[in-house]
Amino acid sequence: MLIQGDNLHREFEFAGKSITALATTSLAVTAGELLTLTGPSGSGKSTLLNLLSGLDRPSGGEVRFEDQPLNSFNDAQAAALRNRAFGFIFQTPHLLPYKTVVENVALPCSYGGIRDAQTIDERAHGLLEYVGLAEYATHYPRMLSAGELQRVVFARALINRPRVLFADEPTGSLDAENAHRVLSLLRQEAVAGKCVIMATHDAEAMRFATRRLNLDKFSHALPG
Amino acid sequence: MLYPADVYADARDAWSSLRRRAVRSSLSALGIAIGVVALVSMLSIGEGAKRATLQRISSLGIETVRIESAPPLNAFAGVDVTNLSVGLTVADAQRIAAWLAGRGTLGYFARNDEQLVTAANHRALATVVGASADWLPAETLRAAAGRLLLPSDNLQQRRVCVLGARLGITLAASIGTPLHTGNQICKVVGILRPRGRLLTEGTGLSALDFDNALITPFTTSPFPSGARQRGVHGMLVRLRNNSPASLPGVAENLKAILRETHRDVTNYRIVVPYALLNEARDTQALFQLVMGAIAGLSLLVGGIGVMNVMLSNVTEQTHEIGLRMAVGATRARIVSLYMCHSALLCFAGGVVGLMLGIAAALLVQTYAGWAVAFSLLGLCLGPASALLTGLVFGLHPALRAAALNPALALRES
Ligand SMILES: Nc1ncnc2c1ncn2[C@@H]1O[C@H](COP(=O)(O)OP(=O)(O)OP(=O)(O)O)[C@@H](O)[C@H]1O
Ligand SMILES: [Mg+2]
Repeated sequence: MLIQGDNLHREFEFAGKSITALATTSLAVTAGELLTLTGPSGSGKSTLLNLLSGLDRPSGGEVRFEDQPLNSFNDAQAAALRNRAFGFIFQTPHLLPYKTVVENVALPCSYGGIRDAQTIDERAHGLLEYVGLAEYATHYPRMLSAGELQRVVFARALINRPRVLFADEPTGSLDAENAHRVLSLLRQEAVAGKCVIMATHDAEAMRFATRRLNLDKFSHALPG
Repeated sequence: MLYPADVYADARDAWSSLRRRAVRSSLSALGIAIGVVALVSMLSIGEGAKRATLQRISSLGIETVRIESAPPLNAFAGVDVTNLSVGLTVADAQRIAAWLAGRGTLGYFARNDEQLVTAANHRALATVVGASADWLPAETLRAAAGRLLLPSDNLQQRRVCVLGARLGITLAASIGTPLHTGNQICKVVGILRPRGRLLTEGTGLSALDFDNALITPFTTSPFPSGARQRGVHGMLVRLRNNSPASLPGVAENLKAILRETHRDVTNYRIVVPYALLNEARDTQALFQLVMGAIAGLSLLVGGIGVMNVMLSNVTEQTHEIGLRMAVGATRARIVSLYMCHSALLCFAGGVVGLMLGIAAALLVQTYAGWAVAFSLLGLCLGPASALLTGLVFGLHPALRAAALNPALALRES
């Protein structure tokens, strides 16, 4: 198993009350899979993605990456894992406004992975070409449309050749055509041997899945 | 683990981010700049005063004690005391020289200002100094051509003179040139190297421009209070191989000798240039304390302003911080990023403050006439203290940024 969650749950304390963000869930994903997480709004899809990627710590249960428990990682190790093994795509594309498109794509490299400036540049341009935005390399994010921005984010997620892609409603802010392009790209990555975990409630997105996991806030989700 | 290249990358990002909020950044940097202006102008005025004092002391001679005749002090004001004491005389000088024995030399002089001196084709107004032979070396005068005065010049009342450097040029004089002054003729036997003015400001001593002086043997020049009393205008004691610390003691002894011979009439003034150092230090200390407090306070206030701006930057950039963490930033790198932010902000303020501070010091020099001087250390201290302020006041916002939970940070829009 590439990535695995056992009995994960997450509660938040708010105004003295405990809010369940994610009811106990277990799952396991291998390379080459495109797993979609579905479920009603508030069922904990985003929360689960955060737990699996180490952006958040579970209230109970354990996440393991290649059989290594994430909670045994220190800050630097967890950061290195996110930097080199994981890629992230969010619902609203967020790029640094004061950097050009190609600099944004290369952002993860300033935190690890490849360090040679020329290699970084070549790879970033190659990825922009791959997502069909080669001519936008030196533009600033404010000059791009939402669909284009999401593809830039996609390129950024791939720069350090991660093994797992986490996508949280990547098509949420896109029209059908742009959504299709992003989904095709994700599918391509899964075919190429990456593990893709995507939260979505877009029926179209679900059609790209190799496997689906439905989270229901009121019942324990079972492993797929 | 932070590498210099990482910090450099963070500094560049921080700088871009600051430039995006140019107005806010400039305003908070202004507070720091004001502190640095106070610091830099204080240091350069302090340095200027210090150098001026040192210059004055080296002009007066650090191992000297100067005695000059002066109007009698208050107790005798308006009373004719000449029957008690005629003032400084050659006899006083001889008595002091006897007391000094081998410990130092004593020179004495009488002077007449604004005397017309004429050569064959040139004329000039100069100070005519009648001096004992020891007076010239005691004043560290050196001959550029010819010689200084000899004891025998005084003993034999030779009609000779030594010219200050500028006066020599004005009169186009050379060794052997005969000069007229008053109703006397004297022959030039030496021309001095430039020595400048005696820097007597603030000492109560009278000024003397060596370069425009004509120095003749004391015995050939008119005495200030008649030939019978053999009065002098001043004396200069130069101690041999002494430690400056012994100077006040020597001055006390001279005072005791003069008090006796002058029958308690204080018609002279004793100045120990070395003691000026301490006096200057005292007045400067107060000035520096006040300006230092102003600089420190404005850096403190500026630092608080910077911290405030940094806290709101962190709040505004919460999503960006989450994103950076998601793509692999360690907490140390987030701290580095925001420390770079505040350090650059303050350093930029410090550089502007440095330039304004230099300008302020130069304005003070031009309009208030105070001496200012810039030392490398003083110039570095301004931006360095700004940088330090940035690091101190940037730490809290940076730690706050690094403590964010990335998942929660990413939920902020
Ligand atoms: N920081 C938090 N504090 C309190 N409650 C939270 C917090 N984060 C999430 N929750 C709650 O946890 C639940 C799950 O949130 P989550 O964002 O994972 O849902 P989701 O399945 O992604 O929903 P959507 O489809 O709308 O994105 C929600 O009810 C939410 O209000
Ligand atoms: Mg969600």
